[in-house]
Amino acid sequence: MIYIGAEVIVSPLGDTAEANWEALSVNRTGIALTPAVGFNKEDIHLSRIVGLGGPLRFQQLVIKALAGLKNRIDASILTSDRTMVLISSTKGALDDNLHDQFGETCSAVMQQFNLAHLPIVISNACISGVLALNVAGNMVGAGQYEHVIVIGCDVASDFVLYGFQSLFAVSDKACAPFDAARNGITLGEGCAAALVSGAKSVFKNTPLQLLSGTSANDANHISGPSRTGEGLVRSVSRTMQKHGIGAEEIDFICAHGTGTVFNDEMEAIAFDRLSLSEKPLNSLKGYFGHTLGAAGVIETAVCMQMMRNGMLIKSLGYRDAGTSQPLNIILENEPKKLRTILKTASGFGGGNASLMIRDL
Amino acid sequence: MKVITAYCNLRAGECLVNGEVVARRDTGSEDSWFKQIYKQHELAYPKFYKMDVLSQAGYLASELIKRANPGISEVYADDEIALVFANASSSAETDRRFIQSYQGGGSPSPSLFVYTLPNIVLGEIAILNKWYGENMFAVLPKFVPGFYLDYSRILLASGSRALLCGWLEVTAGSTDVFLFMVEEKEKGTEFNEENLLHLSQTGAVAAY
Repeated sequence: MIYIGAEVIVSPLGDTAEANWEALSVNRTGIALTPAVGFNKEDIHLSRIVGLGGPLRFQQLVIKALAGLKNRIDASILTSDRTMVLISSTKGALDDNLHDQFGETCSAVMQQFNLAHLPIVISNACISGVLALNVAGNMVGAGQYEHVIVIGCDVASDFVLYGFQSLFAVSDKACAPFDAARNGITLGEGCAAALVSGAKSVFKNTPLQLLSGTSANDANHISGPSRTGEGLVRSVSRTMQKHGIGAEEIDFICAHGTGTVFNDEMEAIAFDRLSLSEKPLNSLKGYFGHTLGAAGVIETAVCMQMMRNGMLIKSLGYRDAGTSQPLNIILENEPKKLRTILKTASGFGGGNASLMIRDL
Repeated sequence: MKVITAYCNLRAGECLVNGEVVARRDTGSEDSWFKQIYKQHELAYPKFYKMDVLSQAGYLASELIKRANPGISEVYADDEIALVFANASSSAETDRRFIQSYQGGGSPSPSLFVYTLPNIVLGEIAILNKWYGENMFAVLPKFVPGFYLDYSRILLASGSRALLCGWLEVTAGSTDVFLFMVEEKEKGTEFNEENLLHLSQTGAVAAY
């Protein structure tokens, strides 16, 4: 069995998974209107970490998350030759060093925590986090490493904000995933970490089971979601087949739900094709914004907290149905025992990825 | 046995397929080096002109590999060819150009922004070929055969039957591109560390 646990979330909502959970359980958001940050000095809604500033913000967050994770595991595995660290990110430390966006952070983390191997960076746009967790599960499953730590991190930058503004993809209010009036994304920053391991004993708290999934390309467009949801359908159906899990066993879906018209519509079509439309579903972008390469790890860590606390968290920002195929969007927090959950992600470059987590 | 069935090295002055030079840079030409290869090989995919250098390099090398190894799209189902690419500097060259678009009076360019992710080249190759398989892009300090060997074992054990792998380092100062196809065959150049290192160096000396 492959375990996942020791989750850490560093976000505007707090520095630990528990602090983030407290905020989520009262539906508090990290998104706030930030004055004059847009390209034309517009006020923009962003989910930014108060107090995170200056140089090396990316490195600071990665180190903070790994330090938090270290306290939750048998710390001796950090320095083991049988441990690998994967970092999922899109733009890394772009603001510090355009030409080497990850190298300094990887070296600093290796040195500070005495790692045996230099971390590997996985950079697949918005599916990076889910993909990295899958790679971790596969590495452990294949016996290449005993333990793989996944750290997802991206920090806010003018670069990314101006880019999404140039695509007219930034919401003029806090993002509203799946809502009829949604009109774009809200960017966020944050970092999350989790340990994937074949050894239950290395976790201080009981872990969960990782059912690592698959990825599939849409083969459709580099920056526009498929109209048919083909890649997402293929990824999810292969992930479920891989573990022999049928639709009836899925208790909850943590969707990608960016809040753009086309992404959310694509997901609704895909879940309909997968006969998963009736499953309780949320997007966590209304709490964290879109944290890009970190999103998959942050959101999977939240799923783990939802399972541990037996609670469905409402999809913040959603009011009225706004997709051609109906979805069962969670309107209010609701206590519920969650046995098996599905996490999905889709992104630029046509990537789609999915994984499942199961209660022990 | 896993075998490297075709490979392409794209360097600053030469493009080689399976070790044979297939294009030489004409330094007097007004066309960019990648455009010269595109024209010399009579490729016809107008989207090439919209791509950034990373995607152009990946497109050219993958098309040349397909020509050297025809039929791969027919032999495998549309989700059986996985793409595993890596480089050292992510999309830095296009990132720099995007920053230039909005610094100094201009507006951020959406057509540059969409290429400011290293995995976009995987999307371009998937779109062109209608390949729905696994994709991964990693950022590593240098070309390491072990990365490809380890990850290919995982992919080939979980539904992928062939791999198109690549090291794609294209910056203002250097062009170091190595794409290779890995398939299951009775014989051929074994997919191992030694062969990968050796083939990755093809043409390296000639370029300087």
